[in-house]
Order: sequence, then C-alpha cells, then structure tokens
Amino acid sequence: MADAGYVLPDEELAQLQKLSSDFEPETTGPLVGERQSSAAITTEYANADPVYRVKTAALPSKYAYFRTCRGDGHCGWRAIAFTYLEALVREANVGKFEEEEARLMSINNLFNNVGINYELIIDFAEEMFDLLHKLAHSVSSNDGNADAILLQAFNDMGTSLSIITYIKFLASAWVQAHPADFEAFITTGDVKTYCSLSIEPSQCELDYVAVGALSAALIKPAGFAFEIMYLDRSAGEEVNATVFSQPTDQNGMLLPNPPTIRLLYRPGHYDILYKAEDFPPPVQQQPIQVALANPYNDSFIPSESSVDIMAMIPGMYSTSFGHRWPSVPYEFDASPTPQAQVTPVQPYTPTPASAAPVNTSRQDYMPVHASHQPNHSNTGRHGLHLEGPPVTLPIHSLPPPPVSIERGHLTLERGGPFRPSMYELEQINVPSFQTSIFKNSQYNTAHYMNPDFQPEAWSPDTEYGAGHKGKHKPPAQ
Amino acid sequence: MALSEGPRASNSAANVASRLQKELMDIMTHPTPGITAFPSSENLTTWTATIDGPEATPYEALVFKLTFEFPANYPYAPPHVVFKTPIYHPNVDFSGRICLDILKDKWSAVYNTGTVLLSLQSLLGEPNNSSPLNGQAAELWDSDMDEFKRLVLARHKTPEELDAA
Repeated sequence: MADAGYVLPDEELAQLQKLSSDFEPETTGPLVGERQSSAAITTEYANADPVYRVKTAALPSKYAYFRTCRGDGHCGWRAIAFTYLEALVREANVGKFEEEEARLMSINNLFNNVGINYELIIDFAEEMFDLLHKLAHSVSSNDGNADAILLQAFNDMGTSLSIITYIKFLASAWVQAHPADFEAFITTGDVKTYCSLSIEPSQCELDYVAVGALSAALIKPAGFAFEIMYLDRSAGEEVNATVFSQPTDQNGMLLPNPPTIRLLYRPGHYDILYKAEDFPPPVQQQPIQVALANPYNDSFIPSESSVDIMAMIPGMYSTSFGHRWPSVPYEFDASPTPQAQVTPVQPYTPTPASAAPVNTSRQDYMPVHASHQPNHSNTGRHGLHLEGPPVTLPIHSLPPPPVSIERGHLTLERGGPFRPSMYELEQINVPSFQTSIFKNSQYNTAHYMNPDFQPEAWSPDTEYGAGHKGKHKPPAQ
Repeated sequence: MALSEGPRASNSAANVASRLQKELMDIMTHPTPGITAFPSSENLTTWTATIDGPEATPYEALVFKLTFEFPANYPYAPPHVVFKTPIYHPNVDFSGRICLDILKDKWSAVYNTGTVLLSLQSLLGEPNNSSPLNGQAAELWDSDMDEFKRLVLARHKTPEELDAA
C-alpha cells in the first residue's frame, strides 16, 4: 500500500498524458505573432484540466493581450529581446534609446573581461544596435512604424537569431562576471562551463539562470519591471507571477509604475503577456463621437475615455472649443435660423441665472432656452461657446416650435421645450410644466446632462426626416 | 505581409554566404598552423579541410581530410563535419562521423570552421572515452596504446592515397 501514494489514478494519468500529447508549441507560426486578446488562451484550454481552465479563465481580466512566440527552442530568448525593445518603443523617447545604446556598448567590455572574444559576437551585436537605431529613428520621426519595424525584424530569422545570440552572450558574460549571484543555481560544473553548455549553445532554451542574468543585465538597468507568469498545475486560481526585476531610482527607491515586461510561461514555452493599460485601447467609441472626433483623433487616452465622452459633446465645456472644434461641417448649421424666430421673447433678457452662482454647464444650457437675444447681449458670458456653429448644435438643434413660444409669452414669458431652470422657478414661482417628451430634456437619458447619459447614434434621416421635421420647417419658412 | 516565407529564405541564404565569406577571409589572412580549410563548391556551402595530427599523440605526423557542409541556418546550426580520411578514434565511426557535443546540441553561433577544426584536433589527443562511437578504440586507448597506434597507422591513408582511390 505504500506504493499507492506514488501512483496517480489512471484517469488522472490519462488526462496528464492527453495534456502532454495535446500540447503543441507553436512551431510553424510567426516567430513573434501579432498582439491578440488573451481570451484566445482561455479558449485554448477550455477542454483542458480544471486547474488550467480556472487559471486561464482568470487570465484575460488581468492580462488582456498576449503575443505568441514560436516554440522552436528560442522562444524565451526571443520573448525577452522582443519585449525589451518593445518597452523601449512604448517609452517613445529617443533619449532613452541613446541611453540604452550607450549602456549596452559599455557592457561590451564585460565580454572581454570574462574571456569572451567580443570580435566573435560583434556581428550579432551589430544586428541589435542596427535595430535599436532603426527603432530610435522611427520614434524620433514619429512615423508610427516602430512597432511594425520591430515585429518585422523579429520575424526575420537571421535578424532575430542574431539578436538572440547577442543576448545569450550578454547573459553568459553577466553570469561569469557575477558568479556569486548565480553559483547557488548552478549545480554542475563551474560557472564558465555552465555558460558554455547551458546558455551559449544555439539550441539551448532560456533557463532560470539566464532569466536572472538578462533581468539584471538588460531589463532592470533600463528601468523596466519584469515578471513571468507561470501557468502550470500548481495550486491556485491564477497564474503565479514571479517578479524578476523591480527597477529603482538612484536612491534605491522603487520606481512607481515602471514599464513592465511580462512573459507567460507554460512548461517548456514562453509567450508574451500584456495588461490592457500597456496599450491605448482600440478606438471603439459611440457613433456620435466618431462623427465628431476627427479633429483630434490622436488624443484618445484610454484612462480618460469616460471623461472624453463628455468633453466631446458640444456645450459641455465652455472653454477651448474655439480650437478644438474648428468648423466641423455639420448639417445642424441651418438650425440657428429657426432660433432667430424666437427673438420676440425679449423680456427675459437678464436671466436671473447670470447673477446666481450656477455651474458652467447650466450656464451653457440656460440662456439658449431663454431666448436668442440675450445670448448676444450677454457676450461676455456666452460668446465663448457660441464661436463655432457646431457648438451651438445640441442647444439649437431642437428649437421650440412657435406655438410653445406663444404659450410661453402668455404664461411664463418664455417658451421652448426646455424645463425652466430651478433659479427661474424660484423667482417666478410657477411650477414647472415639463415637456418631457423632448430629447432636450435632461431627464431624457439621451440628454448630455442626464446622470445616466447614453449618447444616441445621430441619424439625420430618422431624427429630422421623420420625427421633428414638422416642427422645424415651419419656423424656417 | 512581412511575415511571408520568401524573403526570409533568401535572406538566410545571403546571410550564410556572407558569414562564410568572412570566415574564409579570416582563415586566409590569419592562417593557423596545422589547419587548412577552403570552399569546395561555388556557393561556399561545402568546404574541404585538413588537420595535422597533434604531436605526442598516436596521430602525430598524420594529416586528416574532412568535409564541412553548412546548413541554410548556419551559424545557428552546426556544420555537418565528416572525416574523409579513415581514422581509428574512439569518437569517430568507420564512416568518419564524429561524436562531439559542439557539433550537435552544444553548438554555438560563435563557433566557426576554425574553432571546429581546433576542437577536432584536440579531440584527437584527448578522446572522450565515456561516450565512444568506436568501443574497441576506447578500450585500447586506456589499455594498450601500442596496439592502438598500430591500428591508427593501419587504417590511415595519406591524402594522395585517398585521391588515388
């Protein structure tokens, strides 16, 4: 019975066997793949062992993207070299490229110091420096090609193997120059023999010693953090992250939020992992933004997307519209015309709101429904956001039908589809008669001031062709 | 797009050629005593080389001819090296195939024709008897050096004899 502890149940063995025989490292794909959603990993393991299923299911929420590396025995080296350069590209700082080049050049002394003839690796090193130059040039000219250059270089077998060879010898030299840091991990032979048998050979895979060496030689001095996520059958519900590099400043303090290199390790194979915030998200905005956002497409910033949605709506922010909205061609331009019809509602000119301490958005909102005239007489306050036609759009787009104006005159000395502001109501002391059916109402979720604001796709045909045409046309004629 | 096979294949062929040209230049400008190597094909991917048997070994004063075939992914894979001269040695079989780790899984891209030849030269004087291809030779190396020498000389052919055959 003593043996029972050593023998796994048959079905478990069969399961393991299946996993092991099913696992096919990518041997035909690109050397380095395109970045893709890490949900693909979850799918890949959907039918696997429960431990893998749980761990891979938790993966995409933390690490949104991954990138495959071809499993040809070079994957670990390739993944580190690629991510190091990619992290430099993401920094988008030419100075950083120059610093790194100078630093790597200075490391070249290390080779000769440990008895590796630098002449032997100069060809491989040159490929690395060539690529650094190309990337730096692309970053400095801001042509947006750096990512493509990097991916292409790593998918050229010759270039990527040169760079891999370079970092192998960098690792080897580092280990030999810092034997005390690594001796504990080297069980057989001396450090030099270990390097020549386990780091330098073309076909040797990245091992723990080399990971430590490259972390110390390449990644940490560049100010990058470095983690490897281990996806294996160990206990736990998530991949196990091991931190190899935590960059520090001159005072030894940890850098806050350093650029981080993340690899995914499955026994025998490395891929690259990313968090969502490593990249600006793909532009996936509301339709209304797509129509309006052209003037500053490149200013989409992921973390501010919720704010941006508001900022993109004309009238939300009264400042800076002058340059942010340079004459967007817009069909609504015609709508101020009906507004002119509202001019008779003059009595309301000095709206109480101007004196009351109201917030900006309400200022934007109120004068318009009061009347058109006060807008012009009150340019000090309203001129800003009336500069460009588009700004006036949401405000003017649904002008009050004449009928309601008349009614407004009779009862409230005002009209329009807007609910009167609270300040007005205080003064006039007349209960609100709310025209809630209008989109202009802030009680409508389509209104930008609604707390549950849900922008709607604007469609001229449905909105103006059918729904409101009747109301607009008469005042225009 | 850029990930297609075509340009990569031609690139690597060009890389191999330029690398081998460089090696040839090195060998010609810095010849190493006891070693020669020269391309035997136009495209440089096969070479013929010789090594002199090291002094104070059973191979002293003998010259051995070898061929190198360089794969398309050279230098990231080792050249295929074979003794053309019949040789009696613990780590070489009767077809001339060699058992040497740096010509297999311990190959490194920084090795080259010259370093391989030097390694083979030292292998002649220091066979690795723990993993022999020729078990009898491995035994005799340790037990009966005179018999070993006799068998080495019996098997050896000079380059002239080789060419005549």
